[in-house]
Amino acid sequence: MSTVSVIGAGNVGATTVYYIAERNIADIVMIDIVEGMPQSKGLDFLHSSPLRQYNVRIFGTNSYKEIAGSDVVVFTAGIARKPGMDRMDLLKTNARIAHSAALEIARYAPDAVVVAVTNPLDVIAMVLLRGTGFDPNRVLGMAGVLDSTRFRYFIAEKLNVWPGDVRAMVLGGHGDSMVPLKRYTSVGGIPITELLDEHSIEQLIERTRAGGAEIVGYLKTGSAYYAPAASVAKMVESIVKDEKRLIPAAAYLQGEYGYSDIFLGVPVLLGKNGVEKIVEIELSEQEKNALDRSAEAVKAGIRSLDSLSL
Amino acid sequence: MREKLTTISSSCAGAVENRCIDGGQFALTRQSGHNIIIYYVKSTCKGVPMKRVSIIGSGNVGANTAFFLVEKGIAEVTLFDTKQGIPKGNALDIMEAAPIRTYRTSVSGAETFDEIRGSDVVVLAAGSVRKPGMQREDLFEENLQVIKQWAKPVGNLAPESTVVVLTEPVDLLTTVFVRESGMKREQVLGVGGILDSTRLVFALSRDMGVSPENVSALVIGQHGSEMIGLAQCSCVSGIPVLNLMLPEQFESLVNEVRNAGDFIVEMAKRSTAYYAPSAAAAEVADAVCRNTRRILSVSLVLKGEYGIEGIAMSVPAVVGERGVSRIFLPRLSAAQKIQFSRSAEKMLEKIGKEFS
Repeated sequence: MSTVSVIGAGNVGATTVYYIAERNIADIVMIDIVEGMPQSKGLDFLHSSPLRQYNVRIFGTNSYKEIAGSDVVVFTAGIARKPGMDRMDLLKTNARIAHSAALEIARYAPDAVVVAVTNPLDVIAMVLLRGTGFDPNRVLGMAGVLDSTRFRYFIAEKLNVWPGDVRAMVLGGHGDSMVPLKRYTSVGGIPITELLDEHSIEQLIERTRAGGAEIVGYLKTGSAYYAPAASVAKMVESIVKDEKRLIPAAAYLQGEYGYSDIFLGVPVLLGKNGVEKIVEIELSEQEKNALDRSAEAVKAGIRSLDSLSL
Repeated sequence: MREKLTTISSSCAGAVENRCIDGGQFALTRQSGHNIIIYYVKSTCKGVPMKRVSIIGSGNVGANTAFFLVEKGIAEVTLFDTKQGIPKGNALDIMEAAPIRTYRTSVSGAETFDEIRGSDVVVLAAGSVRKPGMQREDLFEENLQVIKQWAKPVGNLAPESTVVVLTEPVDLLTTVFVRESGMKREQVLGVGGILDSTRLVFALSRDMGVSPENVSALVIGQHGSEMIGLAQCSCVSGIPVLNLMLPEQFESLVNEVRNAGDFIVEMAKRSTAYYAPSAAAAEVADAVCRNTRRILSVSLVLKGEYGIEGIAMSVPAVVGERGVSRIFLPRLSAAQKIQFSRSAEKMLEKIGKEFS
């Protein structure tokens, strides 16, 4: 059985653990700096195992050395976004937390694939890459899967069809500058443009862009965690089972799509070695322009890391 | 009923054929040339309507119960909370995971309490939870008001429903709910023994190094420190546990389960357990919605069972579409009987004060 370590036992971390356990994907180590929290949630999960019939081990701890030998490390630690707070406001605090975690990951789980979830994740992924010194294929960020699942759900809701039948591809940075590609969006194989008019699609795209903010607006003191955790689990499953799924993820680019030294949401092939291939798809001029803007926003975040010497 | 959806080129046709939506089907009509008209054909057979579960209280337990139910495709879920926004936020978040998790059930956040009308199951997960050092009974006065607030409206809006009570102290409040709502005792079930039993199954499976699937265990009585673990009703693949371990070993595991809830509160500091409680609530709701008739240890108001009258305590019962249809009364040892009566008396005294 593979081992997946989840750093950060908050809502996103714990719900990710739930998804991994429910599908018996891997043994799990939950780690958090708050004493008692990962232990209590781990035990609570195990108490439900007779009802839910899972057969994986779940272990909560405050000590990084327990992540030894992990195949995948998911990084969800950090502070969450408050209503009205921009993702970039989170940057400083979360980058520092990520940097110290990266050193521990490199020390105890040198062979792991690292998935960044904490926002702003394009930047946090960079901190983790630099901090661990891992090959770029072994560090990636979760964004596109979440953005596309939201887009897919909104389309499914609009058309009153089963959400699983909707396919979509969302590129770019995770945030206001994401780039949903309607040309690569379909329902049961039918291009979305044949089922919905331009205006309706634009409305759904707008809703997707503001998808995270919509939930924060409702919850007020918290942010989304079910859909984010489902997205992480999907990526983890693809890595652990070497499924080689073609899904959007924030990957380190070295010339692909014309960008370098940046994490950006692009379609990747996800397998046991992490990002096994970055797939370059044809973009219209408009889409390329949108991706450029998205890359600029990510670069600005990465530049601010320099001032923190991270 | 055919509803024209769109016209597509014939090259896409393969992807469309045989795709079912809402029990209906896409139908293709080939036209001359390369175009195909797609019709959406609504299902002609009416089918069984989806069951509906309403959850009052969208905290950790409520939201995760919704989540468990939706994941398993058991029912349409309505989440309600007095705090506006929270249920809508949780519901939307869960639905946004649907494309990945591929469920077709839905969960929605209610704006008004009236939306619980006609539910098949109402889960009561509202009220305060314990902080470190508190006993479940310490929440009685506070959460009594919550039960009093919702019992009558639930009885009016969903009189045929089965109510699943999670609010602590669960046995006392299940009793109050029956009195206040005017519903039948078979319709109001507290999550007590089922949660204690799953924890005991976990502890047994861990100690013996076997899969939890092979272990069954039964805990009855008052939820909390006075629960009664029945070794005579616990087994591993049919083998009585006392053939496999000493009575003292079994007792020490029961003791661990007695303190399991407290242990989690102490560790978590700011919250109580919610994954196992939600799984337990979902199991009860599942039994009702799918009429599984599983035997679950649920808290219900006793009418002479084990000589007890007028207070809810957990006993194994068959749970199905009309709530409890049958109660089992396994033979108890003298000590177990005394413990059961003593818990009942204490609770009756507490509740008597409130209602005298």
